[in-house]
Amino acid sequence: MAHDKKLIQKLAEKAKIIRRDAVEIIKAGDSGWIGGSFSQADIIAALMFHHMKHDPKNPHAEDRDRLIVSKAHCCETVYAALGEAGYFSKELYKSYGKMGATLQAHTERIVPGVEYSGGSLGEGLSFALGEALAARIDAPKDSSGRPKPRYRVFCVVGDGESNEGQVWEAVMAAFHYKADNLVAIIDHNKFQSSGTIEERMNMMPWADKWKAFGWDTAEIDGHDFEAILTALENADKVKGKPHAIIAHTTKCKGVPSFEHKNLHFCRLSDEMYAEAMAALK
Amino acid sequence: MKRDYVLEPLGEMKAMYQAYHEEMVALSRKNGKIVLLYGDFPRGAAGELFQKEHPDRIYDVGIAEANLITTAAGLAGGGYLPFTHCHSIFAVGRAYNQIRQNVAFDKLNVKIVLCNSGMLWSFMGGSHQIIEEIAAMRVIPNLMLVSPADPVSTKKVTRAIAEHVGPVALRISNPAVPTVYRDDFPFKLGEAVTLTDGGDATIISTGMMLSDALEAVDTLAKEGIKVRLLDMHTLKPIDEGAIIKAAKETGAIVTVEDSSIIGGLGGAVAEIVAENAPAPVKRVGIKDRFGQSGTVPELKEEYEISARHIAQAVREAVKKK
Repeated sequence: MAHDKKLIQKLAEKAKIIRRDAVEIIKAGDSGWIGGSFSQADIIAALMFHHMKHDPKNPHAEDRDRLIVSKAHCCETVYAALGEAGYFSKELYKSYGKMGATLQAHTERIVPGVEYSGGSLGEGLSFALGEALAARIDAPKDSSGRPKPRYRVFCVVGDGESNEGQVWEAVMAAFHYKADNLVAIIDHNKFQSSGTIEERMNMMPWADKWKAFGWDTAEIDGHDFEAILTALENADKVKGKPHAIIAHTTKCKGVPSFEHKNLHFCRLSDEMYAEAMAALK
Repeated sequence: MKRDYVLEPLGEMKAMYQAYHEEMVALSRKNGKIVLLYGDFPRGAAGELFQKEHPDRIYDVGIAEANLITTAAGLAGGGYLPFTHCHSIFAVGRAYNQIRQNVAFDKLNVKIVLCNSGMLWSFMGGSHQIIEEIAAMRVIPNLMLVSPADPVSTKKVTRAIAEHVGPVALRISNPAVPTVYRDDFPFKLGEAVTLTDGGDATIISTGMMLSDALEAVDTLAKEGIKVRLLDMHTLKPIDEGAIIKAAKETGAIVTVEDSSIIGGLGGAVAEIVAENAPAPVKRVGIKDRFGQSGTVPELKEEYEISARHIAQAVREAVKKK
């Protein structure tokens, strides 16, 4: 069922704002992870500006939905989304990565709205699982005696990041514990730091692996808001299994001249800055 | 010379893990936030109780120590008080980054129980006996490290770490050990316990080696060497004051641990003594080697950490004064 056109438009607007602000953030820090920040931007926008239950004025509300960005180097669009949502002043952007900054090179819990101090890849999904289990403790029960989780947990995982064995430890345990309030969104942009994922460490076929572990698995275009929202809503409906949304994305999506190049961690020259801002007008 | 809260003769033999579980059962009656996590590990009395009465607060993640530690961190993020249980060698070894990055970095309220700690887990042999434990853990910021010596102190330590807000690693050895303390002995996290008074030398012990250290003190007393004995149950934050006092007042220190002499209790004490009150320090511990199978007394002889080795170390330290 199609979503309200105005909602889709709003999310597209938000996604553009957070991409533009991410460019500003990277400029302030001189370098950043533009590729992976941009590939996940639409997913982040859909979560932060529609699907998740959260309150920027109350970042520690007990029953808030949690967003855990396990690929925490892609922090710039996360910071931009939190700034745009009102978790902190956009004044903080210019201090990114500098001495004494709250906005460190990888997201940390000291930032209002950030649940997880990342940087060490492969660990965030386990943290997300812990939060998901916590949501079920002391929760009211439904008519069949199952706990109704007090909140949902959304975890963005990288495809390169999925090389780490611990990701699969969490995948295995989430299935075992039927953590149906846990949604993993795989930002499947087909690149990792030093090359394509197929060149570096071929893990194809992708969706099959999550299905094999017993997860409720969907594959979508990670830049199509209609598809993103539908997948997230389906995840709410399916009970008894954790949910994997394999989002096919483009690294650096949003600046056509940057797309399909492996702009992983890069210095943002004045030329690149101008190019990006022109594309994101 | 021996403080009145030190049992004479020593009390019943009991495994510290059993004492830990008895305390956890008692704590669980007052604290509804405790969550027990296991890496395919024996449940113990508390685990069995939770399985019956609090099934939503007990989880086993299987043989997956990294996931064990980080899932615990997530539970702490969700407002609960997790205690993780797996072999020390695999917590410290396989989940070192997770302890450091997911727990200590953000000072999350996770208690990491280092089961089968140290080098005296008799049958299991070199892959399971851990030499690097104290050195590796004490160098992580924000992480409290505790190492009780007997069943009575294990209970007090367990209760104290549950009340402390912040990351804690708890060493619990496998073998049954003698009860050393009276139930009401003076205990405070971060404060070394004095078991005997003496001015000729100080033995500083941590963990299950305490009863061997006591034996050495008795042997030396008969030779006219009066030894102060300190139980350093809290390795981090270590009781610097007690160490400096011992160096200044007794002039010779011997450290005792079932852990490497590189970087463990001996290293910590040597750092403080050299910086504040230089005095001879002899480290009794594992001399940079891997472990092996054997009975506890055989292993103590093999590793040269038995009571007679401790006594000899004291004699040598005193000579260097």
